[in-house]
Amino acid sequence: MNQLVNVGLTNSVGDITQYLTFQSANDTFAIGILDVKEIIEIEGITRVPMMPEFLCGIINLRGKVVPVIDLSKRLGRLSTVISKKSCIVLVEISHEDEQQTIGMLVDEVNEILEIDDEHTQPPPDFGADLRVDFIRAMGRVGEHFMILLDINYVLSVADISAISQLNFRTAEANDEVL
Amino acid sequence: MTASDVQKLFMTEAEELLTEMEDALLSLEADSENIELINQLFRAMHTIKGAAGIFNYSAIVDFTHPIETSIDKVRKNELKIDCALIALLLKCKDHTWALVNAAVEDDEAALNTLSIQSQLILTELGRHENIESCFPQTIAAEPITPERIEGHYLDTGHWLISLDFRADTLRNGLDPLSFIRYLHQLGQVLEVICLSHKLPSFEACDFESCFLRYRIIFAGNCTKEQIESVFEFAQDDCDIQILPSQKISESFQALIEQLNPSENQRLGEILLSIGAITEKELAKSLHLQSDNADDSTTKKLGEVLIANQLVDKPVVEQALKKQTQAREQAQTIRVDSNRLGQLINLVGELVTASAAMKVMVDRYHFLDANDLVGCVEHLVQEIRENALQLRMVQIGETFSRFRRVVRDVSNELGKQIELTIQGGESELDKIVVEKINDPLTHLVRNALDHGIEQPQERINAGKSAVGHLMLNAFHDSGHIVIEVTDDGAGLNPERIRKKAELLGLVDVNQVLSHAEILRLAFEPGLSTKEKASNLSGRGVGMDVVKRNIEALRGSVELDSELGKGTKITITLPLTLAIIDGFMVGAANENYVIPLNMVEECVELNQGEWHEQQKNYISLRGELMPFIRLKSFFNIPNANQYNHRESLVVVRFGRTKAGIVVDKLFGEQQTVIKPLGKMFQHLKGLSGATILGTGDIALILDVQGLITEVSISAKKYHHVALIDE
Repeated sequence: MNQLVNVGLTNSVGDITQYLTFQSANDTFAIGILDVKEIIEIEGITRVPMMPEFLCGIINLRGKVVPVIDLSKRLGRLSTVISKKSCIVLVEISHEDEQQTIGMLVDEVNEILEIDDEHTQPPPDFGADLRVDFIRAMGRVGEHFMILLDINYVLSVADISAISQLNFRTAEANDEVL
Repeated sequence: MTASDVQKLFMTEAEELLTEMEDALLSLEADSENIELINQLFRAMHTIKGAAGIFNYSAIVDFTHPIETSIDKVRKNELKIDCALIALLLKCKDHTWALVNAAVEDDEAALNTLSIQSQLILTELGRHENIESCFPQTIAAEPITPERIEGHYLDTGHWLISLDFRADTLRNGLDPLSFIRYLHQLGQVLEVICLSHKLPSFEACDFESCFLRYRIIFAGNCTKEQIESVFEFAQDDCDIQILPSQKISESFQALIEQLNPSENQRLGEILLSIGAITEKELAKSLHLQSDNADDSTTKKLGEVLIANQLVDKPVVEQALKKQTQAREQAQTIRVDSNRLGQLINLVGELVTASAAMKVMVDRYHFLDANDLVGCVEHLVQEIRENALQLRMVQIGETFSRFRRVVRDVSNELGKQIELTIQGGESELDKIVVEKINDPLTHLVRNALDHGIEQPQERINAGKSAVGHLMLNAFHDSGHIVIEVTDDGAGLNPERIRKKAELLGLVDVNQVLSHAEILRLAFEPGLSTKEKASNLSGRGVGMDVVKRNIEALRGSVELDSELGKGTKITITLPLTLAIIDGFMVGAANENYVIPLNMVEECVELNQGEWHEQQKNYISLRGELMPFIRLKSFFNIPNANQYNHRESLVVVRFGRTKAGIVVDKLFGEQQTVIKPLGKMFQHLKGLSGATILGTGDIALILDVQGLITEVSISAKKYHHVALIDE
């Protein structure tokens, strides 16, 4: 798995890797450009009942059903307020030997940045206000550090499906109390 | 086609042949005289040997060749087929499969070990043959043939010619003797028997008439046609029958076997082409057949031929079989299942596209195009049904695999178990069939191991020593129902309960119904047998079974009575791809209910339900619990009061329930798109579909929904009880 990620991140000329940066939850994040399949406008997200809040629903991507996740909510922050600039970043991750396309709802995409691999550092143990395993590395751009997200964790299918199961159970429990 | 494709083909073919062989072997246990089954065995080994030869898999060739020889001996009645031999051949079959696998994968090490085993098995086979050949052949096994009736003159390759001259023969200037003399030119007349019983008394005799009746035993290397030509001139004055001896009859059968089947060959043509009948005989029989055509029961050509003793019955049967076989072969084509999958995907796209077109036409009011849209829609539906039909297979094959399992397990455990298979012709999607195999094996093994008791135990319990296991399948409201029933010991509810309490699944004070306790058997970690065997009983069984079946959008139920037996009912959707759906709207969301589960739609009389705040109504005197979709799914902004709600009555098995929705949109073809792994724990929704407008609607899993609601209702009930 790790090997796969490495290949995905460094598969470019020299030691320079390209990243897509975007805004979400008033923060700037980046993911490896090779993970990004495409960026699309928001159009008709169908809600799926009984799923965790960060799962916005599903969309029709040229005949394929693709789940969309509210990145801000997934990172434990407020729900994304959909504006003109909001869009969905489609990424592909592998789960149990299958490629799964997942959409990430973000506030705005910024630009494509090149970061020298020497300018990346392991994530700090605390202080990022984020689950550590979500962070692949910290990338230095000028004087600033930017969080490079590990989408295999952020959008982990196993993780999300486990949460949804938990969610479902809790919903039942709530029903009982009522 | 690449080399590996061909190898794959070899493997599939070998697998099929070996399955056929196994079936034949198992059938032979009951019907050891059936020559066709033995032929099947021979064919399987022979074909595999041939194919393996092409690939240069010497290990397979070396192994299958002696087996083929042994089976051939059985075929020639030199070796008797019995239980020991069947068991040995089953072993051979398994070993061949192992060899095929190893050879195709080019696994040197495996092949080496296997070849040692090959030697062992072959030695065993050789030993068996030697013992066997010491015994004298039983005579009764030989069928009664003409040689038996006529004495022992008739040897192999001989013909029995019967000449019944008519009264006018002599008057017409024919000399019966000349024919017999002429016959000498073709071969050897071994014996001429003159039948005199029809000869009238001396006083009544008309000396110009002929009363001669001959039976001639003739040996000659010639065809039936040639013999017939000898008597050509006598045809009008003589009833001629030329019967082959057993050997010749067999050679006819063998000839038929070797025939290259062509689809439309008629029975007469087949028999003619191998020389079993002559053209004249055929013409005569056809004539006879058409003469009797006005009878209510027109005889078939084969029957006519047999009735007139022109051909032996086995020959006709063989020919008929070849004929059907030829037809079947001509009617099946092997298709890569991936291609079929592709086709079905495309059909799915087509359905969506046609729905989109309809939306367009409606939106812009192209009145002229309405007919065309209707036509296309109709065609798409037909294409869809046909395409899905392509992937349907009968469940019978899956069922009959268990004959071997039952046989092996019952031998191993010393139990006597009889397997009954019903409804094997029920069809369902190939993918479903493949995925149901494992859970089904589990259930069958469970029934064999835990369910059915030892013979002595059964007798003590007042049951017959032979245990019964039944596999049954039938269709019910768009689903296939598979039942695994045994008449064994049944499940002990107290033991299940105790175990569940130990595992902390239920509270000691909790009141559970019989059905609820039985349902606990599907919980992880519950296996009631204290001793785990190598067959089952490790407690990983039932919950895995349940999970696998639910993954196919199916359900499993268990019913058992202590001492009487257990019945497990599996319900599965027929197909996983496209269904007829019924679209409804709840608040601003759209949902599709599988149409075959919808019983009826009723407009809700709001006065009746709204005041009571209860989720049931009386529908024509029937109590009908319902789910209000928008509250159950917590649809946001759905609080506005709707005056025109509808109740959709759905049925699943024996359960009926209502679903309250705001709008009814009607029927539509629905391509099921899986929601993916992320939604695997979601209950009550089975997938999504893309509408003509490009929007997505979710498909309700009615059964899951109802189960979920009733489970939470029960929990609620328990909580209420404890609170009191």
